[in-house]
Amino acid sequence: MEPIQTEIVVIGAGPGGYAAAFYAADLGKKVLLVERDARLGGVCMNRGCIPSKALLNASHALTIAKESAHRGISFGEPTINLDQLRAWKDGILAKLGQGIASIAKMRNVTVIHGRGYFEDSGTLRVETGEGQKYVKFEKAIIAVGSRPAVPKAFDLGNPRVMTSTEALEIADIPENLLVIGGGYIGMELGTVYATLGSKVTVIEAMEALLAGADPDLARPVAAYAKKAFKEVRLKAKVLEMKTAGKQIKVTSEFNGQKVDELYDRVLVSVGRTANGQDLGLENTKVERDERGFIKVDAHMQTADPAIYAIGDIAGGIMLAHKASKEARIAVENLAGEGEAVNGDYAIPAVVFTDPEVAWVGLTEAEAKQKGIAIEVAKFPWGASGRALTYDRTDGLTKLILEPETHRILGVGIVGHGAGELIGEGAVAVEMGATAEDLAAIVHPHPTLSETIMESAEVFFGHATHVFTKKKAAH
Amino acid sequence: MDVRLPKIGDNADSGTVVSILVKAGDTITAGQTIIELEMEKAVAPIPSSAGGKVTEIKVTEGQKISVGTVLLTLEGATAAAAPAGGTPAPAAKPTRRAPVAVADDDDDDLPLDDGGEDGPVPGASPYVRKVARELGLKLSRISGSESGGRVVLTDLARYISKLEKAVARAGRYAEEPKGLVFAPVGTDFSVFGPVTSEPLSQLRKVIASRMTENSVSLPHVTQFDDADMTQIETLRKKYKADYEKAGAKLTPTPFIIKALVSALKLHPKFNSSLNEVAETLVLKHYYHIGIAVDTDAGLLVPVLKDADKKSLLEIAKELSAIAEKARDRKLGPDDMKGGTFTISNQGAIGGGHFTPIINKPEAAILGIGKTALKPVVLKDGKIEARPLMPVTISYDHRIIDGGSAARFTVDLVKALSEFPEADVKL
Repeated sequence: MEPIQTEIVVIGAGPGGYAAAFYAADLGKKVLLVERDARLGGVCMNRGCIPSKALLNASHALTIAKESAHRGISFGEPTINLDQLRAWKDGILAKLGQGIASIAKMRNVTVIHGRGYFEDSGTLRVETGEGQKYVKFEKAIIAVGSRPAVPKAFDLGNPRVMTSTEALEIADIPENLLVIGGGYIGMELGTVYATLGSKVTVIEAMEALLAGADPDLARPVAAYAKKAFKEVRLKAKVLEMKTAGKQIKVTSEFNGQKVDELYDRVLVSVGRTANGQDLGLENTKVERDERGFIKVDAHMQTADPAIYAIGDIAGGIMLAHKASKEARIAVENLAGEGEAVNGDYAIPAVVFTDPEVAWVGLTEAEAKQKGIAIEVAKFPWGASGRALTYDRTDGLTKLILEPETHRILGVGIVGHGAGELIGEGAVAVEMGATAEDLAAIVHPHPTLSETIMESAEVFFGHATHVFTKKKAAH
Repeated sequence: MDVRLPKIGDNADSGTVVSILVKAGDTITAGQTIIELEMEKAVAPIPSSAGGKVTEIKVTEGQKISVGTVLLTLEGATAAAAPAGGTPAPAAKPTRRAPVAVADDDDDDLPLDDGGEDGPVPGASPYVRKVARELGLKLSRISGSESGGRVVLTDLARYISKLEKAVARAGRYAEEPKGLVFAPVGTDFSVFGPVTSEPLSQLRKVIASRMTENSVSLPHVTQFDDADMTQIETLRKKYKADYEKAGAKLTPTPFIIKALVSALKLHPKFNSSLNEVAETLVLKHYYHIGIAVDTDAGLLVPVLKDADKKSLLEIAKELSAIAEKARDRKLGPDDMKGGTFTISNQGAIGGGHFTPIINKPEAAILGIGKTALKPVVLKDGKIEARPLMPVTISYDHRIIDGGSAARFTVDLVKALSEFPEADVKL
């Protein structure tokens, strides 16, 4: 069969891959997009960001209903129809997947469903439902992403031991759920199940939840977990799991003691691992590091000049928006459009727990670790009128400042809607804004966005709603 | 990818390829020496900026090349790794420029020379960063006019117009020496008698062109004097054994360096350089003394750094080490960089006063002849034989006036003849 000729082939149609394919098509390139799943969108749209947010939002109604009682509004006992919840969530995924597919069509991006395998640095074999197809390309962009890591000892072949993929299918609401790993995935899905009614136990090996977030930002989440979860065990680890009838027998160690317990389901959320085995990379010059991530340079180019890699597979923080940014860098460089460089931008991180945690740019922990001199200005949400009306004063907005120029190096927020607020932080960091700038910009009242302006005012000691000592502005 | 000749030093932006140490097909690592380049009177090893497999060598031995010349091409190159993660290049140092007033004058803080360290990177929006990157401008060299020193598009425009003015000024200077073009002389002497011709070494060619340029482009004036070395000779004899025990040979040169530094401290213009492009006089607060060393291959000038901070013993020790390195031609580019003043000491060979040529961009040079007993008329009218050392100072008359030069010479001779014993004692 005649090989398909294309200028650019993109392998993987997640938020990195489809962004790369569409941008390259916009620049006039002939683009082929290879996706092994039936639906486009990758982990983010099918097994990650989107379904988890759908479930978090849907189940949040239960929390609001419960909390309304002390504000004088009460409801009856809620009923949960899991089939309907699942169908609503799947409807969103289907709509988004179809959206991507139709945009691909409009942009003349050819989509082939199948597994890609590099024969050499210019040929990709695709195993499709209708047999093998060969693609001759000038440049390839690998965007095959990552998958949940499951340590061998936890892999019992029992569907009651779940990764995030299975947990998002909500087969049932287990009475007792064990979450292994208190990172953002474990905490988000733990929140969904706890809200739906499961008794959730979290076992985390480190000494704090949400590794990566500054401790003062993680604290309100830990407080929530203490209230909403059955138990959070830090510096603990799971030693062994065994199938025990319709349950899982888990042996764990905590405070130096071994504990045997039975759980109805276990969620393993200990991290994610790179895809990219079985891609035929050995037939190219692409190099991978010891953890399986593809090595790239500042232009997202691999050791093979014809091949670029973006997103989770290229290492670094595993976030959809980082993959989309890298898609732009790779395409701009391979299309010779300007000289985009990786590493020259801040990537916001959001954890959709209750409350949400978000940060962008430099964190306090990172500054400390790297010995960078900073000043920190904090605004506790107890002083925000809007936070009081939400009945959510468990929030904090803080600015990480360069001491001489007062430039905003980082912003951290914990609280209701922090994920939406951090966008302003990203603008401030990327534009090189100073505390003077943020204090001078009028923010609408009454909104939580005022907390960003007031943090800057706290820095100078004249926040309207907080009294602090004075500091001179430039 | 292409591997290009990197910027090596202040005045070292070109050189001649002496040897090529790799060949097509070799796999090299970043940092590996790929060629040896003759520049600034030294052979400098040039490292590769990247690793990979060499596909083609782009230069030949004997070729004159300058910064940016492609040396070789690499396949599967691994350049310096991209910084991981998305931290917005936070400043390593907390000091940072406050916003500057946007003035249209020519002489604000624009560091045009490449020598200085880059400052912290100021704030700038992604678009401004991109424009700067595409134009090849370093944000760390640009003063931002906005809050916190943030650089905006108008700052880039202002910087570019300043660069243009600077280039125009540099052009004015470049024109003058260009006006002096000498036709090469190729007389056939064999018609007059038997001769032998030797090819010129690369080092000889470098020396020839530098000496011609320096002697033609600088208005030299040379000041003559003699220093009474009675005191230094006494001290040298007294402490020679102590120094030998400490592993150093106590020659007159360490004394001359010490005395020179004390005179330079009194006369900062002698430790300065004219920045012809920026039209500024750059006074240096460090004292790196270049020592002209006579080697089999020709003249080399290694630099003894921070002479003001070193004891006589340290200077004596370092002096023999660098002279040996120079004679073995083992000096790296760093060993010859950054000199603020040069000494040419012919005392060990012989001869009296001579007129040394200034080592541009330094402001002056000290020439030392052989110390010899000469009759000196003392204050009381008696005549005594004293060891006198011929001292000559050639100076750049653009920077230094005759009066200043005379005062400097007096102070230098005084520092030599009244050398303090405290500085010699171990």
